[in-house]
Amino acid sequence: VIDPRVQRLAEVVAGHSLSLGEGDLVLIQGPALAEPLLAELTRAALECGAVPRVRVSLDGIDAAFLSRASDEQLAWLPPFAIEEMDAIAARVSVHGAWNTRELSAIDPGRLAIRQASVRPVTDRFMQRSAAGDLRWCVTAFPCEAFAQESDMSLDAYERFVFAAGWLDLPDPVAAWREFSVRLEALCDVLSRVRTLRVLAPDTDLTLSVADRTWVASKGERNFPDGEVFTGPVETQTAGDVRFSFPAVIGGREVEDVRLRFEGGRVVRSEAAAGQDYLRRMLALDDGSTVLGEFAIGTNYAIDRFTKHVLFDEKIGGTCHMALGAGYPDTGSLNTSALHWDMVCDLRDGGEIHADGEPIYRDGRFLPGFFAQPLDPPNPGPGPGSGS
Amino acid sequence: VLDPRLTTLAELLCRYSLDVKAGELVLVEGPALAQPLMLELVKTITDLGAHPMVRPRLERVDALFMERASRAQLEAVTRLDELEVELPSKHLVVWANANTRYLSSAPSQNLAIRSAAFRSLFDRSLERIAKGEAGWCGTCFPCHAAAQDAGMSLAEWEDFVFAAGHLGDPDPIAFWRQQSARQAAIAERLGAVRELRMVADGTDLTVDVGGRLWMNADGRENFPDGEVYTSPVETATRGHVSFSFDAPYNGRDVSGVRLWFEDGRVVREEAGRGADYLTEMLDQDAGARYLGEVAFGLNDEIQTATRDTLFDEKIGGTFHVALGMAFPAAGGSNSSGLHWDMVCDLRDGGEVYGDGELVARDGRFL
Repeated sequence: VIDPRVQRLAEVVAGHSLSLGEGDLVLIQGPALAEPLLAELTRAALECGAVPRVRVSLDGIDAAFLSRASDEQLAWLPPFAIEEMDAIAARVSVHGAWNTRELSAIDPGRLAIRQASVRPVTDRFMQRSAAGDLRWCVTAFPCEAFAQESDMSLDAYERFVFAAGWLDLPDPVAAWREFSVRLEALCDVLSRVRTLRVLAPDTDLTLSVADRTWVASKGERNFPDGEVFTGPVETQTAGDVRFSFPAVIGGREVEDVRLRFEGGRVVRSEAAAGQDYLRRMLALDDGSTVLGEFAIGTNYAIDRFTKHVLFDEKIGGTCHMALGAGYPDTGSLNTSALHWDMVCDLRDGGEIHADGEPIYRDGRFLPGFFAQPLDPPNPGPGPGSGS
Repeated sequence: VLDPRLTTLAELLCRYSLDVKAGELVLVEGPALAQPLMLELVKTITDLGAHPMVRPRLERVDALFMERASRAQLEAVTRLDELEVELPSKHLVVWANANTRYLSSAPSQNLAIRSAAFRSLFDRSLERIAKGEAGWCGTCFPCHAAAQDAGMSLAEWEDFVFAAGHLGDPDPIAFWRQQSARQAAIAERLGAVRELRMVADGTDLTVDVGGRLWMNADGRENFPDGEVYTSPVETATRGHVSFSFDAPYNGRDVSGVRLWFEDGRVVREEAGRGADYLTEMLDQDAGARYLGEVAFGLNDEIQTATRDTLFDEKIGGTFHVALGMAFPAAGGSNSSGLHWDMVCDLRDGGEVYGDGELVARDGRFL
């Protein structure tokens, strides 16, 4: 039995996110447990006239290789990897896991060797992506491991994931297109701002976004989506920030992170749990104490923290910032091996001021700054919501 | 719980069948449900210093593709497909199914278009194997669907599959080396024969194998294994053959097949079940009506037909022929997108003559 929401998810990814067309070679990759979505993506790609190829990952294979391989094997770059990256027109990566802690016993040093070895492939990916030659999308298939991570039953988590993509709507593609227009308008307004100040409990942080570009994340490279982001001026961030949600990276959690910035750099860091890891990451390289991204989550169908960054950073009414690498298309100059998103809740008394004027309060833009609605339309009596 | 026979199988496939060496790229391909075997293979390949490359498939995805793809989509051979043929030093295919009928809703015409489009890649793969640039092996992972086809429980089927590979033996590799020597002797005897005639109930078939090489299938390219085979002279086959066993192909049920040959070509075909499909497959290209293979099954652990070609064609005391693609290494030149094995029992009164002289009776070589 095919869940109609899975079918709509596939249609939105193929049609809206990737705009697949005649003859496009599209690589569909994901774990075997996401078979229903991988199959529906194949169907949707075929309907667009594209040529799908599906790459499936299996439970335990990566862990077996990573735990047994010699350094030489870990560092070996498959000779086909770059050519493959050049051959494809589009790629969709489906996230899903049997166990989010599958790699927890692998020595981080081994993972680092592996990561370094595939760097030429990720570089090529970034190049082609930046040049507009490669369309890509990251999405997720609701699975038990992610549900467990979110303290939800699978059924509840499925409802959460599909609601986050507005897949209960009769025509989600149309809704995302309309939303895209509004997000672009929001970016236009934000681009006039020079200085932002974020106020929340234990948080008073000032950033310069002068002459930087705001980008609308409107359901193309991520799905679900919904945020606007930029790269703050590297030397200007100052003040304190306390992140409401645990900062999750590489299957690790650091709780209650507090950072103080001076002249753009983190000068003090504290965490209730995982402080050593936090400090190790901050010491990683020259760019790792500088913000590469500042963003405001605008998906109001995502209303809770689930420890998966794809969803967390889009929670409507939050802002997030990433330590480390910035996106060149925002004007960010910061480079680092790190890109660590941390989310701050603004829904309960949080404020953002732009050049001294309040523009955002309790998780919503003030109408004087941006009056267009950002909420997804009501599902109405369309196809079943599955609940 | 891991069946230790899977670990033994992975070790045997890597060390004996494929002889995996450090630094080699080893492609492991098969359905996702064969994960327990694939995992053991990745461990062994990694331990041997080689590079595993696992390409699991999902039947539902493949079936959907075959059902819904347009002609252009079926015919698209991408760089990704070429690289999978060009790069690996060793290629292991794991055979298993969630459902052996998973392709039954796909138009057979689509399957034919697809196999025709991928012919050149398939030929290229054979060429690399023939030149010694790549090694290839296909093996069976016991699963419910094949057990069901064989009329067995999964536990029985696992025992059957692992027994056929002698994986419970104290030293399976030693067994296969002995079996290899026994088969080599039969291949040598057959190598002296020009005209081979098989006579059984409903069968009197003559093939010319003069100048062709008999190959010893000793567990290196198929596992389990146990046959000797060659590719007959393309234009010489004559007579008729009634296949005792079902001849399923691509998940289609075909049984009671009878073929009549003149000058190497099938001039008449009949089937009790699947006759239309048989004709469609034989008409797919110019080589599909010619024999690409003639062979004798020599695995005495396999005594009953299971509707799985890998096993049926090795039943000790049978012979089989394949319509379509021949083996260049054996001297065959027939080229086709088809390679359809069909098995005929010789155990009950069957006789084989080599240049008029009786060489096997009741399926036993004299």
